[in-house]
Amino acid sequence: MSPLLEVRNLSVAYGAIEAVRDISFTVEAGQIVSLIGSNGAGKTTTLRTISGLLRPASGEILFQGKPIHAEPAHAILGMGISHSPEGRRLFPRMTVEENLQLGAYVRKDDGVQADMDRVYELFPVLGERRHNKAGLFSGGEQQMLAIGRAMMSKPRLLMLDEPSMGLSPIMTQKIFDTIKELQSLGTTILLVEQNALAALALSDHGYVIDLGRTTLDGPGHSLLADQRVRDAYLGEVH
Amino acid sequence: MSTVAISEKRSALAPLGKPLAIAGGVLAVVAALLPWVTFSLNDGNWPDKSTLQFFDAPFLVTGFRWHMLLFGVFILVAALAPTPSRGRVLRALGWGTLAVSFINALYITIKGGGLGAITALDGEVAFGGVVGVVAGVLVILASYGIGIEPVADWKFKVSTPVAYLVLLVAFGGVLYAVAAMLTTGGVGASNPYAGAIFLSFLGFAGGVLAALSGVGLVRWISALSEEHRVFSVIVLAACALLLPFTDAGNEYWMTVAANIGIYAATAIGLNIVVGLAGLLDLGYVAFMGIGALVAANFSGAATAYFGFSLPFPVAAAIAAVVAGIFGAIVGSPTLRVRGDYLAIVTLAFGEIFTRSAQNDIGGFTNGSNAIPGIPALSLFGAEFNRSITIGPVKLPGGVLYYILIVLLVAATMAVFANLKFSRIGRAWIAIREDEDAARAMGIRTGKMKILAFLIGAMLAGLAGAVFAHKNGTVSYESFKFLESITLLAAVILGGMGSIPGAVLGASLLFVLPEKLRDFEEYRLMIFGLALILIMRFRPVGLIPDAHRRAEMAEKADENAEEAHVEARKA
Amino acid sequence: MSVLLQQLANGVIQGALIALIALGYTMVYGIIQLINFAHGEVFMVASYGGLATFTLLPDDLKKTPAVALPLMFVGGIAVAVLVAVVMERFAYRPLRGSSRLAPLITALGVSVFLQEAVRVWYPDATSNLPYPKVFPEGNLSLGAVNIPWTGVLLIVLSVGLSIILQTYINKSRMGRAMRATAQDPDTAKLMGVNPDRVIVLTFVFGAVLAGVAGVMFGGYLNNINIDMGFQNGIFAFTAAVLGGVGSIRGAVVGAFIIGLIKTLSGQYMPGGTQYDYVWIFVVLILVLVFRPQGLFGEPERVRA
Repeated sequence: MSPLLEVRNLSVAYGAIEAVRDISFTVEAGQIVSLIGSNGAGKTTTLRTISGLLRPASGEILFQGKPIHAEPAHAILGMGISHSPEGRRLFPRMTVEENLQLGAYVRKDDGVQADMDRVYELFPVLGERRHNKAGLFSGGEQQMLAIGRAMMSKPRLLMLDEPSMGLSPIMTQKIFDTIKELQSLGTTILLVEQNALAALALSDHGYVIDLGRTTLDGPGHSLLADQRVRDAYLGEVH
Repeated sequence: MSTVAISEKRSALAPLGKPLAIAGGVLAVVAALLPWVTFSLNDGNWPDKSTLQFFDAPFLVTGFRWHMLLFGVFILVAALAPTPSRGRVLRALGWGTLAVSFINALYITIKGGGLGAITALDGEVAFGGVVGVVAGVLVILASYGIGIEPVADWKFKVSTPVAYLVLLVAFGGVLYAVAAMLTTGGVGASNPYAGAIFLSFLGFAGGVLAALSGVGLVRWISALSEEHRVFSVIVLAACALLLPFTDAGNEYWMTVAANIGIYAATAIGLNIVVGLAGLLDLGYVAFMGIGALVAANFSGAATAYFGFSLPFPVAAAIAAVVAGIFGAIVGSPTLRVRGDYLAIVTLAFGEIFTRSAQNDIGGFTNGSNAIPGIPALSLFGAEFNRSITIGPVKLPGGVLYYILIVLLVAATMAVFANLKFSRIGRAWIAIREDEDAARAMGIRTGKMKILAFLIGAMLAGLAGAVFAHKNGTVSYESFKFLESITLLAAVILGGMGSIPGAVLGASLLFVLPEKLRDFEEYRLMIFGLALILIMRFRPVGLIPDAHRRAEMAEKADENAEEAHVEARKA
Repeated sequence: MSVLLQQLANGVIQGALIALIALGYTMVYGIIQLINFAHGEVFMVASYGGLATFTLLPDDLKKTPAVALPLMFVGGIAVAVLVAVVMERFAYRPLRGSSRLAPLITALGVSVFLQEAVRVWYPDATSNLPYPKVFPEGNLSLGAVNIPWTGVLLIVLSVGLSIILQTYINKSRMGRAMRATAQDPDTAKLMGVNPDRVIVLTFVFGAVLAGVAGVMFGGYLNNINIDMGFQNGIFAFTAAVLGGVGSIRGAVVGAFIIGLIKTLSGQYMPGGTQYDYVWIFVVLILVLVFRPQGLFGEPERVRA
């Protein structure tokens, strides 16, 4: 049985600058896996390459055993990978409801309305203001909408890029609780975070990325205990 | 994904690279020595004794067959001798071979009324064209087998005298090429095959030039000329002044060359606005029109607004100043409007100019009757449009205009070059690259952008003043939208921000119509198609500016997208 | 007074025509930030397409306007759509992601090419060609004002089609995808939106409207020529900018304003109709300088 997602020796370059060099990791079905590392380590680039927005210079990305790194972004969503990008990137001039409908853009089944109600249940504030423009919401509310929107395609793998960025500690906690809840509902999650402490505490497995390479990996709790990780990342963040 | 496709193609062809190139080279030589046409065409024999019946001396090749022979030899040399960036050189030579063969074969087929003309007819065989095309294709395939490496970078330094010598030889070569380009195929309709001969020559010149560029020579020489800028400009001007003494030294070509020069000077002015400051101007020719109208009104022509005439230098200065003032006015919206919105403002201004001039606004333009009878310039009693005799040498008519315009072009080049490497030029380039960053660095962007418009417009106004006297008539018809687009195309075709590029672009766009009278009907259509193809395949132009080249190459998807996001956040 | 009313009516008709073209500009600019200069020529080509369709009809159908006119619309629209799709696929798509200058220059090239192609290949296109008389004749008389029925039809088509378009973009799934692509193309891809499809569809919608406009232009003015594309294209672009590029409502309102400026300045400003063109550009420049986002545009849209 092959892992849900496997990244092998991935390198990505912007022109002459190599942002990611030789990253490898795997995500097993049902896990929460986090990629941690400092700013500019190449985490976001990795996610953007998996979702097809960027092309690798070399290396392979396998989803359910099948190479996907030559597929266009819109086709990759259809395979079951949903990506909630850094900075949330909502459609600010559209309503909450329209944002969620776009999340379900590729779905042809009639369960869309039911799933939308489920998002409103999970985040009642969205339900109350479903006809308001997304650009008018606070940072935390926008993050909820971004996660909700990413859930609407019913992905097998949900990739979240910096979901806690710019949020208050209380809101951060709420977002991480939600992530845990999504896992219990059967979604596999690949998490990119600068908030390494919170991310690792939540994760089944973690990878430390530094200057575009994977330098360390292990189960979330053992990385949390690792002195090198504590020195390099945890001290900085909190 | 395209890189994958190319590497796969290479792997299939890789072992065959060298043999294919050798085979192609041999075939090119063979093609040169074969007859190309099976019978005499209605308009006369195909040039250079390539018609079977007149094919008496196979080894005394001239014209396009000589070009084919040279290509064959070059290909063999490139394939066998140690050549830097061999694949790139072979690709250029292959395309050149293909172009020359294909152009000749196509013309023969059309004029001869069928493929029989270039293959076999009534038991006669003439396979030169077919063999040539095959040779070209083989060499192109071979080049991909060998692989297209980056252009070689020649590191070695030379002493100043050697550099001067190299530059002299190089510019001499350019002079020869220009004279040959003008005279091949003869003048206008005198030779029924003039168009084909010219296109074939262009294929040859293009192939050789691209090969030299591939081997790194062109880059090296342009670096040398940048290092010895003053010397280069002098030599270039001297070469240009020698043109009347070559085969091109007759009244017809002097007139054409002078017209090209006027547009080249204007194109250099436009290059300041578009190439350096990055401001797209779609109504630029209006400034040339303003200059021409001012000069015409001060010329003493019968329908001029003012009843007196001013000496040309004074009139030209006024023309430049007036055009410059309009330039500053048109440029002033740049304080608030950016990018393609600015392009629309300039287009609107151009249209206002055309429409006002057409309706004789203020009595300055004489509307659609134009201002005719502008006197020719004269110096010490010698009228510029007459031929002159200095001792034993008789120079053709129009030569004085030609000289004046060479000086004008040299002067605009000098202005451009000095600005480009000055503080102002660096400010413009900074604005072009990133206006907000430029402002953050303390550049007064508004002032700089208006200055770009002002200087560009002044140069155009000056060129317009010369235009008025040289042509004797000024009509709004000469300054319409299409002329603006043609000038812009000249700048882009040559290479934005590059001086030789603007001159080359203007030359090509204004020589081609002279040469391709066969295609008169299709001229503009081909022009439109050419714009599309250039943007698709070589957006940096024929002679790219060094900075610009780097910028265009790195403007990949991502940067554009990131810029997009930034703009959205702002 | 009656002159004023008549000119107002004429201005509204002109505006209706310009609106149909302006919508194509505004939609394409909204999605890929390209001033598709060639759009005016798509309108021109459509007019010739309609004329060619009529020419190819058998004689008895030529005499039956109820059949001939719809067929001319179909023919004109088909030609416009074909041209638009081909130009998107082969001229613009390869340049996506390159510098902003390149597609704009390509658009100029396409524009010149289309105009020349018609001039060279369409029989007798060098002179004005009469348009067939299959349109409703006569006038609608409202007191002193006479509005030709073709003008009425033009206004109805223009307003009706823009309402349909606006509704489609606001309500349908594909319309949502178009708006998403316009707001944030990358994120739209992450939602599974295929940008190629959205962009082609945008060009197709613009071409359909330009096709209607092309045929109606012939019906209203009775003559067509190859310069009609450039001139009306510029008016339409001006209207789109005036209304705020990217906004459907803005393009329509802008077009009516342009139409009114054209007829009223031709009547009342010094220089008469010879300068109507100039006033439009003066307004354009003033709008760009003092309200660059246009009447209905959003300020963030305006950028280098």
